[in-house]
Amino acid sequence: MTRFLVASLFAGVAAIASPAVAAPVLGQPAPAFQAVDAAGRTRSLSEFKGKTVVLEWTNNGCPYVQKHYNSGAMQGLQSQATKDGVVWLTVISSAPGMQGYLTGPQARQWKAEAKAASTDVLLDPKGVVGRAYEAKTTPHMYIVDKAGKLVYMGGIDDRASSDPDSLKGARNYVAAALADVKAGRAVAQAATRPYGCSVKYGSAD
Amino acid sequence: MRFLLGAICALFFPVLALAQPVNTGHLTAELISASQGVAPGQTIHVALRQKIQKGWHTYWRNAGDSGEATKIAWTLPPGWTASDFTWPAPHRLPVGPLTNYGYENEVVLPVALTAPADARPGSTVTLRAAAAFLVCADICIPEDAVLTLALPVTEGPAPADPRWGAIIERTLADAPKPAGLTGAFEKQGQVVKLAITGPVLKGADMADAYFFPFSGTVIDHAKPQAIERGPEGLTLSIAPGYDFQSPTPPKALDGVLAVGGKAYEVTAAPGPLPATAAGLGPPPAKLAAPAGAANLGLASAAVFALVGGLILNLMPCVFPVLAMKAASLAGHGGEQAEARRQGLAFGAGVLVTFLALAGLLIALRAAGSAVGWGFQLQDPPVVAALALLMLLVALNLSGVFEMGTSLQGVGSGLATRGGLAGSFFTGALAVVVAAPCTAPFMGPALGWALTQPPAAALAVFLALGIGFALPFVAVAFAPGLLARLPRPGPWMDIFKKALAFPMYAAVAWLVWVLTVQVGSDAVPRILGAAILLALAAWLAGAAQRQHAVGRRHVGLAAAATVLGALAVAGGAFWPSYHTAPMVEAAVDYGPSDNGPAPIVPGAPSDPARLDAQHYTPERLAALQAEGRPVLVNYTAAWCVSCQVNDRLALSTKGVQEALKRNNAVYLKADWTKRDSEIAAELARFGRAGVPLYLVYGAKGGDPAILPSILTEGVVVKALDAAGKTS
Repeated sequence: MTRFLVASLFAGVAAIASPAVAAPVLGQPAPAFQAVDAAGRTRSLSEFKGKTVVLEWTNNGCPYVQKHYNSGAMQGLQSQATKDGVVWLTVISSAPGMQGYLTGPQARQWKAEAKAASTDVLLDPKGVVGRAYEAKTTPHMYIVDKAGKLVYMGGIDDRASSDPDSLKGARNYVAAALADVKAGRAVAQAATRPYGCSVKYGSAD
Repeated sequence: MRFLLGAICALFFPVLALAQPVNTGHLTAELISASQGVAPGQTIHVALRQKIQKGWHTYWRNAGDSGEATKIAWTLPPGWTASDFTWPAPHRLPVGPLTNYGYENEVVLPVALTAPADARPGSTVTLRAAAAFLVCADICIPEDAVLTLALPVTEGPAPADPRWGAIIERTLADAPKPAGLTGAFEKQGQVVKLAITGPVLKGADMADAYFFPFSGTVIDHAKPQAIERGPEGLTLSIAPGYDFQSPTPPKALDGVLAVGGKAYEVTAAPGPLPATAAGLGPPPAKLAAPAGAANLGLASAAVFALVGGLILNLMPCVFPVLAMKAASLAGHGGEQAEARRQGLAFGAGVLVTFLALAGLLIALRAAGSAVGWGFQLQDPPVVAALALLMLLVALNLSGVFEMGTSLQGVGSGLATRGGLAGSFFTGALAVVVAAPCTAPFMGPALGWALTQPPAAALAVFLALGIGFALPFVAVAFAPGLLARLPRPGPWMDIFKKALAFPMYAAVAWLVWVLTVQVGSDAVPRILGAAILLALAAWLAGAAQRQHAVGRRHVGLAAAATVLGALAVAGGAFWPSYHTAPMVEAAVDYGPSDNGPAPIVPGAPSDPARLDAQHYTPERLAALQAEGRPVLVNYTAAWCVSCQVNDRLALSTKGVQEALKRNNAVYLKADWTKRDSEIAAELARFGRAGVPLYLVYGAKGGDPAILPSILTEGVVVKALDAAGKTS
């Protein structure tokens, strides 16, 4: 009886303590994760503590992603950010067989061909990191500050379109948020609507 | 006729509205007009029509989690103007863990077109538009089309276009419009409550109600919206979107409420929620329930009921009356004709009681009561009266007094020789006490029956009764079997007295049910009544013995009658039982409280089951919104099968571990007392009674329905399947 009570108590405590699958919250610690990168190394969010981290969800087959890469806009943003000491992690949550899924070597090749200036490409074929952040679209952008708190989530800019012409005059939310972070200001526009293709998660089973 | 004229016109007058459909790859787009022409200064409707390839979709004005709304840019001659689209109500399009809003197959997006006053009749205007679509299946492709529509300018208003006029008019008529609805919203912990009231919602079927916001950042599109009905409207519990994390939370929640096959525009302001938008629980289920609903015909429902009735004889529910049946069977030994009469009397008792209960149930439901099968045991006075009745039967079996003495003489027991009434009574009692639980096959049959007209419903109940009575009646008619039964003799008296003890156990069980319903205050009252009744029975027995030896017994008999009546009245009916407030206390879980709501004392739970939480529809929706697997146990103290499942299958270490392993939550929906919310949930799964076990997966969607006879393995397997998220 006692043993059973104790076991039940533990079960109850575990139910409270284990992180419920909750939406990422601005100003709260960003969901921790571990993922294998294109080179096969295991990377984790915690290793970048003390640095500003940008998470960029991508899918190289998605027309919205192509708008930002074919024009060089994304690479420009990446190189500006990494020059400022920001860690830029590009995450691929496409499941095997789905659009945008890349193996490690394919991801390295894509990064080289696209001349991407991101710090690393993380492979998330099971969608674990994507689901933890509730990444919905490609691109979908998140910024984690030096203290590990989530300070931005949403779209890359205010032009929800795959038309390359829409880049002209677009207001880039990520560039603005990074400028705010760099200047030590609160991010003025911290949550925006992400736009693009849906993240190609595996059929959920 | 008008159509024919139109068709002829189309053949002979090439000046009619002309458009060229464009296939963009995954859809065919064209501009269509509701009128055959437009007069100077007139406003007519034209539309962008999309015929979309199977499996692909385009988007609503708020595309949801991903995607992009269809866009159009007009190039019109000077003075001509075109409005924005009128958007028909969208559909929800789930994509993995995401949800989008859009259209499949075919959609017509109307636009109001106004001609300038100086447009020249007899001329033809060419409307040109560049349309941009994002068309998606699992992948998305942006597609474009430059479309034109040539439209004659006429002297006066032109007749409707024979092909498109009606379609565009219908689209406009069905499109969401303001309908005098008032909306208010409030963030309460992790959910946003949106309360909408208005005349069009009174009495509306709210089962499928859903709020489509115009903004893409105010709600979490993929999470379910729990529905609560009210006398004047409804309240939706919605998972908030990004905007609610902003330091300046949204000042409005505008969008489209789809409800009962219609759609209305709604504007909601922050503020207190009107009380008239809640209080009536979630909507009753649709006839075609999403999961496990048995879409049975009368014939198959009757067969299910017959088989269910047969199996009911093997369910733990029947334990309390097994003793009575055994006693009745024992009496059959020997004379065949007598055995047949007894068997038929028992069968008649079963059938008549089944039909009477079913008739009462149907009448109560027709009168608006949310009752289900087993309702007779949801009333404390009925339970108390049954407990006392069982005690009387037990005392009779123990030999404290005899039944029917005045007619038959001492020595004939309740269910023995000559007791045709006794056999009938045995059958009746078996139904009242044992039938409330549902057996396999029986659940879907009864669930179906209660949605049917009374005659069909009664037919199903009749089939159930026949199934239930069949084994015992059959034994009475099988000479081979009868011959195997021992001859009546002195052993019967001993057998009968032994059988009294299961009946005492049944009394104990019913007293427990009563305490669950009304609290521990019931214990002294019902036990006091029981003692009084036992005294009355003993006095009656004494009177019978006096009578047997020819002495005066009237005083004793009268005292027994008075005491017995007092016991039953005081134990069961007066003063009336107050039901203990057991469920209400747990409904109001704190908004920020993710921990288990403790089970409230008085609930029929094993005290060791610390991790069972009280079921409420809101709790279930909240847990689903969190993405946690949920095991829901619909149970009742009076359902013996439920109790057996609880102890043998659910209260096991394996299930505990499976719950923990899968981060699952165990909810208990206790139907011991009447509860319209639980009755509605049961109905949603095509059931009229308990037990019902559901396992909701972490990914949402329809739950798995577990069998009504559980094993630990079945539960563990279901929980492990539910815990999988990828």
